[in-house]
Amino acid sequence: MSSFELLAISPQLIISLAIVLQMLLIAFKRSTYLIQSFTLASILLAIASSVFTLPALNSQITLLFYLDGFSFSVMNSVLFCSAIVVLVSGNYLKISHEVHDEYYLLVMLVTLGALILSISDHFASVFLGLELLSISLVGLVGYLRDRRQTLEASFKYLILSATASSILLLGMAMLYAYSGDMSFNSIEPHYVSSAYIDSVAVEPGKDFKFLAQAGSILLLVGIAFKLSLAPFHFWTPDVYQGAPAPVTMLLATVSKIAMFTVLIKFWFISNQYLDQTMLSVISIIAVLSMLVGNLLALKQNNIKRLLAYSSIAHMGYLLIILPVISEVSIELAKQSALFYITAYALATLILFTFICETSKSNQSTDFDDCHNWQGLFWLSPIQASAIVFALLSLAGIPLTIGFIGKFYLITSALTNQSWLLLASLVTGSAIGLYYYLRIIFIIFSQPVNRESSSQESEISINSSLSHVLLFSLTLLLLALGIYPDLYIFI
Amino acid sequence: MILTQIILVLFIGGFLAWRIELQRPQSARWISLIAIVFSFVLLISFANDNHEIFYQYVQISQLPWITKFGIHYAMGIDSLSFILIALTLFLGLVCVLVSWQEITENIGFYYFNLMASIAGIVGVFCATDLFLFFFFWEVMLLPMTALIAIWGHEHRHYAAIKFFIFTQVSSLLMLFAIIALALINLQHTGVWSFDYFVLQKLSIDSQTEYYLMLGFFIAFAVKLPSFPFHTWLPDAHTQAPTAGSVLLAGVLLKTGAYGLIRFVLGLFPEASLEFANIAVWLAVISILYGAKLAFAQTDFKRLVAYSSISHMGFVMLALFSFEQVAYHGALLVIVAHGLSSAALFTMAGMMYSRLHSRDLSTMGGLFSSAPRMGGMLLAFVAAAFGLPGLVNFVGEFLSLTGAFKVYPLQVILAAIGLIGSAIYGMYLFQQSFQGKVQHQIIDLDTRELFICSSLLLLLLLFGLFPELILNHFQEYSMSYDLISNDVISHDLLNSLSTSQTYVELLS
Repeated sequence: MSSFELLAISPQLIISLAIVLQMLLIAFKRSTYLIQSFTLASILLAIASSVFTLPALNSQITLLFYLDGFSFSVMNSVLFCSAIVVLVSGNYLKISHEVHDEYYLLVMLVTLGALILSISDHFASVFLGLELLSISLVGLVGYLRDRRQTLEASFKYLILSATASSILLLGMAMLYAYSGDMSFNSIEPHYVSSAYIDSVAVEPGKDFKFLAQAGSILLLVGIAFKLSLAPFHFWTPDVYQGAPAPVTMLLATVSKIAMFTVLIKFWFISNQYLDQTMLSVISIIAVLSMLVGNLLALKQNNIKRLLAYSSIAHMGYLLIILPVISEVSIELAKQSALFYITAYALATLILFTFICETSKSNQSTDFDDCHNWQGLFWLSPIQASAIVFALLSLAGIPLTIGFIGKFYLITSALTNQSWLLLASLVTGSAIGLYYYLRIIFIIFSQPVNRESSSQESEISINSSLSHVLLFSLTLLLLALGIYPDLYIFI
Repeated sequence: MILTQIILVLFIGGFLAWRIELQRPQSARWISLIAIVFSFVLLISFANDNHEIFYQYVQISQLPWITKFGIHYAMGIDSLSFILIALTLFLGLVCVLVSWQEITENIGFYYFNLMASIAGIVGVFCATDLFLFFFFWEVMLLPMTALIAIWGHEHRHYAAIKFFIFTQVSSLLMLFAIIALALINLQHTGVWSFDYFVLQKLSIDSQTEYYLMLGFFIAFAVKLPSFPFHTWLPDAHTQAPTAGSVLLAGVLLKTGAYGLIRFVLGLFPEASLEFANIAVWLAVISILYGAKLAFAQTDFKRLVAYSSISHMGFVMLALFSFEQVAYHGALLVIVAHGLSSAALFTMAGMMYSRLHSRDLSTMGGLFSSAPRMGGMLLAFVAAAFGLPGLVNFVGEFLSLTGAFKVYPLQVILAAIGLIGSAIYGMYLFQQSFQGKVQHQIIDLDTRELFICSSLLLLLLLFGLFPELILNHFQEYSMSYDLISNDVISHDLLNSLSTSQTYVELLS
């Protein structure tokens, strides 16, 4: 490995090093405050070090990784989301007497897994990153072991994610049997770069073609599990609801972003968009996700559950960019995906920051019933405005980044003339508006007279850190929505 | 930048009203009033100094906004925009005045929403970049929805959600059409542009043009509203607070008409001509159906709401007849309906504040205790059913006369709507102010009298001198011809608007 390659993966290296140091730190001195600051500092350092990766853009780094502008932006979003999660975790966990070293260790492992996923273009690195991500997430989902729901969620996540991983592995095995190579870009024979060509020198016959197709579909299914796309979405609402709020936040942002990157790379590098079968499979999944996600969200009163269903729908919207008709529009498709996923992550971060700050880890559930938000606007207008803007952003209303994201998606879809997907986008957004508006109206309705003053204090945030956090995230959401040129594609 | 200044004055005025109200109660309404008057003065002084806005579409500002897609922050104004902005600001004044004592909760935030939606509506009338237009088109809905959802009547959440979803979904179709238009431009020229003037020059094959036109048409037909997209309107109007209804009926519906004139007819002339037959039939159905349903209502505001559907049908009928006279009629109907429906909703608000009911069956005999109010209501009802001397009559008369040449059968049917409007108008008046005395109410106070008489005065003024409005359009279109050199010589009647070439196509 040359120093050039080492520099190119410096964020990953820094995080790995930090994990080792974290373990040493635990042995040396157990202090929640210390480990939180250390974790945050190392994530910030990793963000700063991404400057060094810039010269290595668009180059292959060892056999396992490929760094391009898309990966670069994804890496930074992942690190940004992790930093926010670490920040809000402090207050959430403060109540109980334990020292939460392992928690931060697991968060770092998740981050590392996501970072590996975002630059990998080889089955080995994908699987490595994926398992790192999922196994640490299982630990995190079940972290508050005194809660009943948490245990249930943890088990569900463990079993289903193990299933998904094995399906993914099977898919990879089939693709390997077909191409004899584990790299993404060797799946489609006419697209093989000359370096790996000797293994597929023999023109594969029809049976092998079938093997490749089955493999691709299985791989897609595995990814769809992780992205909670319909019809593989059943774990999502329970896990979202049961997991501690900061972990749900991690699950909804970091893990989704990283998995979607894998999908994008797999899809475009191995030229899956040329295959008619794959196109119809992805269209079916997209339409189902948009409709199922939005329809099931309609009747939810639990905010975390509602966000789970809405995330299914949002992942469905994102699939709109996948069917491209020409190579020219791939660039636009990637940029659209990047912008939309940033918009989605930003809005999700705001909502979960608020949920984290209003709930405590020593209670039996999080503070996530939407009726608790009644009259929030009149009690604490700034926080309520942040939530309202985040919800509007998810609904794709102008002034917010969500609208620009939707604009990108529609532009991309119109370029590729995917009418069916556009039609379900319209239907989905129409249904979506209803439940977002319902929460917004609850926030704006008259506050209930709370009998005890203790309940009153629950709804507002006391820590000034989260005030600043909510305020600056909302500012970012609006700034990118009003002047999207601020977002630079690399 | 003058238009931006107007919008900013309104928006910042609203924001200040919200914040200062928290410190000094009762100040919000004064701040809003001053902000609207100030922006009105800005507009008038600008128009006074720049007469060319009455002759051509003047671009005021153009700044790069989203460079990747070639989107500009571009504003422009012509006589159509000018008249609609003036109408918006005038009704904005009325809105502030009618809310003077009606709103008692969260006053500051109320005025912020009111001012923000007025600012958004002004933005809609100014934008010349299609993306910017869409931006304002959506943004103006948010405060409007908040007005309905927070300060509305008993079923406000249902009405607000319905209003929001209807307009959002339809405008999503418009967004598709806008982007598709820009993509076609990209294919032809190789550069992204959302500029109105650039896209106007684009030549599209007729099939695509028809679909794109439909995307725009549905968005505007929902706003107008036209049958069969009208069902949000009665709920939204009925549940909104008085100022919300005034703003909805007075200006928000006009954004639909504005969109039809500016975008559907302006960008897709051939496709509109092809579609005209269906549009005219939809208009006729709206006129008759609206009138029929208005007659069946027992709720004061619901009745006025259905009458709006009927009246806006005349606008659509006139616009899609591609006749000069009818086009002028449509413009007058837009202004007339803006004033008269605002007046009727104002009356409804005043009666609601006295009776706490909008149910016509519980009213009756109010004339004896409130003669001034009765007189005003009679005058406004008369305006709504087109009494000669008031501007509604001129507008509807011109629309029907103009369209008769092209669509005789449809116009004859539409004219029945006029009789319908007389019936429901008189029914409204009779139920509330005549008959057995059921309530004693206080007559209009000075503020209310001022609102009503200024509205009535304008209705009368434009009714007697419609040239005050129409003159601008004559000059505008004559010089438009000189500039475009499309048609070198014309007689006056034929040269009056942008649609003159399609008159020839038709005949």
